[in-house]
Amino acid sequence: MKDIFKDVLGTDGVHGLLFISDEGEVKLSKFSDQFKDEEEKLSRIDWASFTIELTGINDAELLYENARFYVKKSGTGYLIVILGYEAPISMVRLNCEIMLPALDKMKSTGKKIGALFRKKIF
Amino acid sequence: MIPKVLIVDDDQAWLRLIQAELEEHTNSFVVIVADSGDAALDILKNNDISLVVSDLRMPGMDGFDLLATILKVYPDIPVFIVTAYDKPKTRDVVFKSGAAGYLKKPFSGDELAEEIINTLQKKSEGGNLHNVSLDTFLQLIEMEQQTCTLRIVSKKQGRGGVIFFRDGDIMNARIGDQQGKAAAYEILSWSRVSLAIEHDCVFHDKKIDGDLQAILLDAMRSKDEGEENKRNAESDESEIFLDAPLAGKKSKSAEKKSRQKKQSVPKKKQKTSGQLKVKTKKKAPDLSEMSAVERIRHRIQTEIGNRNGLLDIYLDQTWEGLVYRALDIGEAFSGGRLNVLYVNKGSNGQFIVVPGEETAVIKIDADSPRDRIVDILSE
Repeated sequence: MKDIFKDVLGTDGVHGLLFISDEGEVKLSKFSDQFKDEEEKLSRIDWASFTIELTGINDAELLYENARFYVKKSGTGYLIVILGYEAPISMVRLNCEIMLPALDKMKSTGKKIGALFRKKIF
Repeated sequence: MIPKVLIVDDDQAWLRLIQAELEEHTNSFVVIVADSGDAALDILKNNDISLVVSDLRMPGMDGFDLLATILKVYPDIPVFIVTAYDKPKTRDVVFKSGAAGYLKKPFSGDELAEEIINTLQKKSEGGNLHNVSLDTFLQLIEMEQQTCTLRIVSKKQGRGGVIFFRDGDIMNARIGDQQGKAAAYEILSWSRVSLAIEHDCVFHDKKIDGDLQAILLDAMRSKDEGEENKRNAESDESEIFLDAPLAGKKSKSAEKKSRQKKQSVPKKKQKTSGQLKVKTKKKAPDLSEMSAVERIRHRIQTEIGNRNGLLDIYLDQTWEGLVYRALDIGEAFSGGRLNVLYVNKGSNGQFIVVPGEETAVIKIDADSPRDRIVDILSE
């Protein structure tokens, strides 16, 4: 999983990224070392109420004074990239577009394996 | 008039290699290289470039940023993106961003040359003309209501420029990174030129006020004034060597020459000029009297023009839930003020949401320059 995020996280100006399920659960969080405090602050947010508002949205951008959020819908949730204004946004959009099929594939494989385990155990 | 092709890549070894491979095509085009997006912009500013080939991934200004800048400042120059970063969807995103072509690395010099030559041929499909009287030729285009892009080179000035016509109407002009009337005046001051004709025009909205006749007259007047100022400056500098009557005589002769030039223009054109003289300046609208929706529309219209892709602007409380959540997030991670939101709902449309006392929503079409609109509204 680490590799598929490499291109996005390695882009200049990208602070980090989150993957949030449709229900608002943080499934994954990866931030550069210098933005760990940002990661900590974002982990406390009620994402469920945010994902409700995102229903029907393919992608979105939230532009704040100091940073921007790029939100991309995947089959199972939302990928959120936090980036500074110096980041090449077109490159980030392209990398997210490229990354999503791999992300969905991993998620769906994960579910299948989970289901298999559940069957065997119970 | 051999076209110049600018190739941009941070990999200098690759640049040297491709430049050497393209050398055998020097009859068709000349290659100039740049190892960064910034270096490319410097070259574009000072050279008459016909086509740009750029790598996608470069440190600093990447291929997308360079493409966006070229589309904005040099909209008539086609850009080819070349990349080794050929992932599914890269091609789609590159074309969607406005590139004229896409090539996956590695490729041979011949493959690239073929693409370049095909594109350059399309750009001069209307033919090339040499030693042409520019003002006469432009009046012909106006009369025949042609849509075209003229790439003009003045050997005497050692410069090149572009003039854009749509249905015989002059839409814009460009020299280097300068566009509009000033660029038109400079090009129109060239007398004998070489030009290449392309049967297309990237501009749909007029960026230059007035018709060709008025612009030609203004350009002539401006040229005469410039020459006269130059002569006056020269005569001032030479004051200790020349006596007053000679200086006066010189000025009168310049005046006569200027009058003669103006008289050589048909009567109809002079009438147009007369109409221009009485034209009053439009009063700037009072922004404080405008509603939020009107202010947004006015800003976008002023900055981008008519091709802004706006479908509708309205106040809509139903977006407030999303705005409040976005405000909560911004507050939680010290993101600062929430300037604007962009939302893509697929087949249900694309929206730019502007928070405020009342939430304003801008519905845009798929071809809208949304990054520019977002930038303008974030300022």
